Amino acid sequence: MSLKPKTKALTMLLGAGCLFLLAFFLLPLLFVLYESFLGTDGNLTVSRYLAVLQDNQFQNVYLRTLKMAVIVTVIAVFTAYPTAYLMMKIKSSHKAILMSLVILPLMTSPVARTYAWIVILGRYGIVNQTLSLFGLTREPVRMLYTEGAIVVGLLQLFLPIMVLNLVSALENVPSEVEEAALSLGSSKIGTFFRVIVPLSFDGLIMGVTLVFTGCITAYVTPAILGGAKVLTLATLMRQQALVLMNWEAATVIAVVMILTTLILHTVLKRFRPRNQT
Amino acid sequence: MKNSKLLILITAMVFIFLIGPFIMIFLTSFSSDAIMRFPPKGFTMSWYAKALNIQMFRTTFWVSLQTGLLATATAMLLGVPVAYANIRFNYRGKGTLELLFSSPAIVPGMVIGFALLRFFVYVSNIPIVIGLYLGHTAILFPYTVRVVSASLRNFEGDIEQAAISLGSTPLHAFFAVVLPNIRSGLVAAFILAFITSFNNVPVSLFLTGPGVATLPIQMLSYMEYYYDPTISALSSIIIVLTVIVVQSAEKLLGISKYV
Amino acid sequence: MAFIELKDIDAGYEKGKPILKNFHLSVEQGELVSLLGPSGCGKTTTLRTIAGFIMAEKGSVTIGGKDYTNVPPNKRNIGLVFQNYALFPHLSVFDNVAYGLRRRKVSKPEIAKRVADVLHLVSLKGYEDRLPAQLSGGQRQRVALARSIVIEPELLLLDEPLSNLDAKLRDEMRAELSRLQHQLGITMIYVTHDQIEAMSLSSRIIVMNEGLIEQSGPPEDIYEYPATPFVARFVGFDNRIDGTLTRLESKSVHVDVQGVEFISTRPSPNLSKQDEGKSVSLYFRPDDTQIGVEPGKNAFEVTIDFSNYQGNTTQYAMHLGSHALRAVVPGKPIADGTDRTVFSIPPDKVIAEKGVR
Repeated sequence: MSLKPKTKALTMLLGAGCLFLLAFFLLPLLFVLYESFLGTDGNLTVSRYLAVLQDNQFQNVYLRTLKMAVIVTVIAVFTAYPTAYLMMKIKSSHKAILMSLVILPLMTSPVARTYAWIVILGRYGIVNQTLSLFGLTREPVRMLYTEGAIVVGLLQLFLPIMVLNLVSALENVPSEVEEAALSLGSSKIGTFFRVIVPLSFDGLIMGVTLVFTGCITAYVTPAILGGAKVLTLATLMRQQALVLMNWEAATVIAVVMILTTLILHTVLKRFRPRNQT
Repeated sequence: MKNSKLLILITAMVFIFLIGPFIMIFLTSFSSDAIMRFPPKGFTMSWYAKALNIQMFRTTFWVSLQTGLLATATAMLLGVPVAYANIRFNYRGKGTLELLFSSPAIVPGMVIGFALLRFFVYVSNIPIVIGLYLGHTAILFPYTVRVVSASLRNFEGDIEQAAISLGSTPLHAFFAVVLPNIRSGLVAAFILAFITSFNNVPVSLFLTGPGVATLPIQMLSYMEYYYDPTISALSSIIIVLTVIVVQSAEKLLGISKYV
Repeated sequence: MAFIELKDIDAGYEKGKPILKNFHLSVEQGELVSLLGPSGCGKTTTLRTIAGFIMAEKGSVTIGGKDYTNVPPNKRNIGLVFQNYALFPHLSVFDNVAYGLRRRKVSKPEIAKRVADVLHLVSLKGYEDRLPAQLSGGQRQRVALARSIVIEPELLLLDEPLSNLDAKLRDEMRAELSRLQHQLGITMIYVTHDQIEAMSLSSRIIVMNEGLIEQSGPPEDIYEYPATPFVARFVGFDNRIDGTLTRLESKSVHVDVQGVEFISTRPSPNLSKQDEGKSVSLYFRPDDTQIGVEPGKNAFEVTIDFSNYQGNTTQYAMHLGSHALRAVVPGKPIADGTDRTVFSIPPDKVIAEKGVR
């Protein structure tokens, strides 16, 4: 009796959202999952998976995507931590400016941001021109359409996310804790690793999760900076579907992509401390 | 406390790395050289004129604008009630539903677009633009739920109960007391969601085709064929517009706390 | 039948986990009743059940002879005042106060008049156009009060309305609430965990603990004759000594405590002749004790653990066997070189209750 008005209210509040996601999100995904097991004769089979997973090119692309994601995440952690830490230490007006400089890239078109690297890393870009100015190279070095270019692009894309997560995690670490550790004889570096990092660990894991999965599924950066020469999971999927019209393979890659992100989310979640909010 | 030099050096490099590319885009957009060369030579506004005059950019800009506005509006209509329910009520299966509502943010955008294409466009034969609209709505949905929840969390439930004790129905209390007080959160959610949609590539990738493209998709395909500063000019315009919107939203609403 | 009648109520925030179990409460018209108890005792749950924000799983709520059990909160005409004021931040003082009248479709001139009257009543004339953020804490609470009485509610519920104010304002507002209650004659139920507040305001106090009523009565009774060990502790009978009941008379009780005879002239009505020979507990306040007197009746030799000089009084922590005792005595600490002393307690300051075990 007492629950009825509440049930009614909840149905009204949640109903539309649930229906939308069921119809236009879950259902299509389940359909793709079903399709990925569909054989040419209409029976369920794993033959599509075998065809893709045994393919040499797919294996290379998959490993390359993971490798680049690892590299980007590691660099992001090691550069974002000092940045976030310093941002906590400076005057709040300065911090606000730096914060908006972090948020700004996050809000701007990834196409525009990635495009900038064509200008920078191109044949006549600033890097090549500087190298030749100092006589370090005779010919322009080819930097575009390499794994390195993609790593740089991805790093620029995802570094702000890591910084933001670490800043909000560090905001929850009271400065007294650090002072207490220092007063107890801990060195600055020791305090950082024994006190600051454990207390901001939740934010670190969140950042790592977002950056890592972001790198694996990113499309724009490898499309512009890798092209067809250096394929990643995302660009391979598009190539299979829209260029080679190999929908069977694209479907399998889609499922592999979802599974990879889900596994990463689940595994990394286990590292998150439970007692912290 | 003195901050060590190494710390400052790393931070400076991070910010040069984050902001430098934007400066590079601006510089090349004014270069009279048709090849993008550094340092840029001469000064011209002609790339801007060219960017604004390419018909495909103008058409796709409108597609992006309309898709963004419609998808954001729909996501808000779906997301505000969900955020409200999750803040105010405890119910069985809440965890599962919260997972469902956040899942479009976890599933890769490319896969969402791909699935909508396979299921709706090929199986149900609906027009591709509707798929585009649905896909964008799906990814904006968790966004609006999150931002609106954050601003609802700061609004005390007692105030609503006061309105009800004075004679408001729960529905009237929501419109008369809750909504006016979370207005800035709603506007922030709208702006953030719209920008997300406007910049999105992965979802749109499979939901565009001959005749239907969004601006970022059109820019990508232009870049495949041409290598001149037109994209620099167009990017500069987009960046400046984004800066204006984000900065004024930050001043008025403190948008950064919702990012 | 009383004005407000709660019968056999099971209520709580989660179904199947009621905070109130088989709860009964009746309040007469015009009473100012305080629900007093520690946090989690069910006092706010009681208030919210009366207001209708918690629908009882079982039992009935009657107000003024009408069954309110299934009436939604917006149809109850009950005024509600919150601890954090819960003013509408986007509305002016005038619009805050007029809110309930507008919901009741009162005419515009009538609204203007009634809002002006009630703002006059709470001394907030001239503040009509301010926003809540531009008011002090005390002013906000006056607006909240005005907002809830302007609708002429059958009943006013106040949920710790003064606990966010500083001490001086709290005294002022308490006097103001008292005045309003006399002036308007409105029935009020007042939730608080502060016994001084409850004592000074209410015509009746209901002490609650773990969803049950421990004792209900006028403030003097609660303060002087706590009926249960819980209430005794709650109103400051911090010391407890256990003994054996030797003799119960009409006006006094004799208790044997480790061989010393104790007399209390305040036996609990719960005690009867049958309890003779059984265990009883004696309760008394730290500031009713005397120290450094001759041994005899009602006097004990105890060990002082430490003393704490507090200016015009000295606080002692002592123990008698396994009982820790506290005494607050005027003057400086006694300094006789030993840690043994004799403390005593006048017979009319000790209450004797059935043993706790």
